[in-house]
Amino acid sequence: MTNLVALSSWLVQAPDVPVALDEAGLISRSDIRNRVAYWCQRLPAAPGQRWAVYHQDTIEFLALSLALWQLGCTVCVPGDNRPVTNERLQRRVAGFAGQYPKSLVPYTERCLTTAKLLRWRPLPADFPALEIFTSGSTGEPKPILKTFAQIEDELEALERLWPEQKQAVVVTTVTHQHLYGLTFRLFWPLCRGQVFERSNCQFAEDIFTRAQQHSRFVLVSTPSHLSRLNPAFDWQSLQLCCEGVLSSAAPLQRADSLQVSELLQAPVREIYGSSETGAVAWRVQNSETEVRWQPLPGVGCTLTQDSTLQVSAPHVQCGRQVLSDRVELAQDGSFLLQGRTDRIAKIEGKRISLVEVERVAEQQRLIKTAKALVLHGRRTELAIVAELTPEGERYLKTEKKRALVHQLRQAFSQHFEPVALPRRWRFVERMPYNPQGKITVDSLQAMFQQDEIKWPRVVSQTRADQAIELTLKIPGQLIYFSGHFAGNPILPGIVQVHWAVHYGRELLGVKGEFCRLEATKFQQVIFPEAEVNLLLEYSKEKQKLTFQYVSEKGGHSSGRICFN
Amino acid sequence: MSNLHQEIKQMIIDALDLEDIEAAEIHDDEPLFVDGLGLDSIDALEIGLALQKHYGIKLKSDSEETRQHFASVNALAALIQSQSNNK
Repeated sequence: MTNLVALSSWLVQAPDVPVALDEAGLISRSDIRNRVAYWCQRLPAAPGQRWAVYHQDTIEFLALSLALWQLGCTVCVPGDNRPVTNERLQRRVAGFAGQYPKSLVPYTERCLTTAKLLRWRPLPADFPALEIFTSGSTGEPKPILKTFAQIEDELEALERLWPEQKQAVVVTTVTHQHLYGLTFRLFWPLCRGQVFERSNCQFAEDIFTRAQQHSRFVLVSTPSHLSRLNPAFDWQSLQLCCEGVLSSAAPLQRADSLQVSELLQAPVREIYGSSETGAVAWRVQNSETEVRWQPLPGVGCTLTQDSTLQVSAPHVQCGRQVLSDRVELAQDGSFLLQGRTDRIAKIEGKRISLVEVERVAEQQRLIKTAKALVLHGRRTELAIVAELTPEGERYLKTEKKRALVHQLRQAFSQHFEPVALPRRWRFVERMPYNPQGKITVDSLQAMFQQDEIKWPRVVSQTRADQAIELTLKIPGQLIYFSGHFAGNPILPGIVQVHWAVHYGRELLGVKGEFCRLEATKFQQVIFPEAEVNLLLEYSKEKQKLTFQYVSEKGGHSSGRICFN
Repeated sequence: MSNLHQEIKQMIIDALDLEDIEAAEIHDDEPLFVDGLGLDSIDALEIGLALQKHYGIKLKSDSEETRQHFASVNALAALIQSQSNNK
């Protein structure tokens, strides 16, 4: 047993130490108790009910939850307050509490003249404390119920693994309205008496300035932020204060893990788990090998026939769950992840059902059929290939693609969080069925690869004062080759001029707006996969950029681009 | 359209790897987030990084102020100009 205060009896048992921190100072146990007392008298809740709670303020969210538990209710955490979510919940919950439209909220907020003194009661371990949702593979959000015992067992396992760092303030980029944040930025610190920041950091700058204010801190974050920490900041100045970094929601790239660990001189601990299981394993990456995930204390790992992972632990739903990740499992229970088996994608750590995306797409008047897929480019993102209805076709023709995409994104935003909205769209006359009548992921992906490439690969560059020579490799998949000309692709002259302007602006500081071309000659065509040298010379006084494409075949083109 | 505005638009398109849009199609006063261009919180992180890389700008931790800077191309241009005047 550890020294954790049980969440079910926190109001009764928590010692009188600071709980959280905001700009105004420390928030104490009694501040929270007062707020809970207020809500206990405000909320028209009856035992056995289920209430939806949404509040961006972690303390207010906590007070609402503690109050509802005191009133004998299950707290349902939908994670967002979008209209579609609220509508879906209306049949499921007895009431909405927190940041909801007035029409949904069955109470009025006003100051209490007589605050009743309440006697707090501990709640039974098997009380269904929480209901959260996750994307099921059917596409419908799937409710998951957690008892106090499950939540507390998970916290016990974490505390046994990492009992230290209690004095460090929790700085975080993670919301408490999803399970990872709920556990790691709220319940665990709360029950171990570790002070946490009341609000989340949005930018790396926030993390930096907030962390500076603490003599010790831990950072609870996700790969979305950790992969985008700006190394230009003076992170070194925080090294002595940073006691650790926690990351979850998705595996962190090894390079990102090493960079964060280097910048902050602290271990980067990753957590693996799911909504159904809670946290089940952890790892700290290193530069030498691919580090295996280790089960948390009390978690057993076995392999199913499909090579997916089955975990058993007291805090896991039904005591045992099969995850949809394929793994390579060792005797000691450690494992490596080898990809998912279902149609659930992780986009910036958010679990998205591709089936649900397709269903929402096909509900739109403008779309006949749709296929969703995940692209791993600069960012992992959702993409859609769709056949349009006749109305959609007309819309595309008259209003153009951007307007169509805009309209569809608007419709999607009713259902999905912004980061989970599809970012790339292809509208096709017919889905790419193969001879077996199937649509393969490869054929869908191919549609996005084609027009990715708009630039040559810069092999090398040599620069003089106002001149530069670039060696360029012209990729065969360049978008400008398609249709120019069918069966006989050559690099269009206008693209050559466009590239010259681009590199002129980027490398030679060319300013002003393009106004005309002078003495332009296109002597020899440039074929796909060719290697050419681009010579650029800029005269600042004359505001002219001279360009020349040459190769071992001789000159291809040349001219002067004038700016004003 | 000023050079700076043009530059910012191109920076946004490049940093976010946006497709189906040209710099000229982004309006100076169009909201970048939610409506308008419809960028998300990850895009905000990317723009923050790009601002630092291109213009050496550090965002203040006051998130309300930052939200205002990120409202539109006009607001970003004002931010860049004010920070370069301070140097």
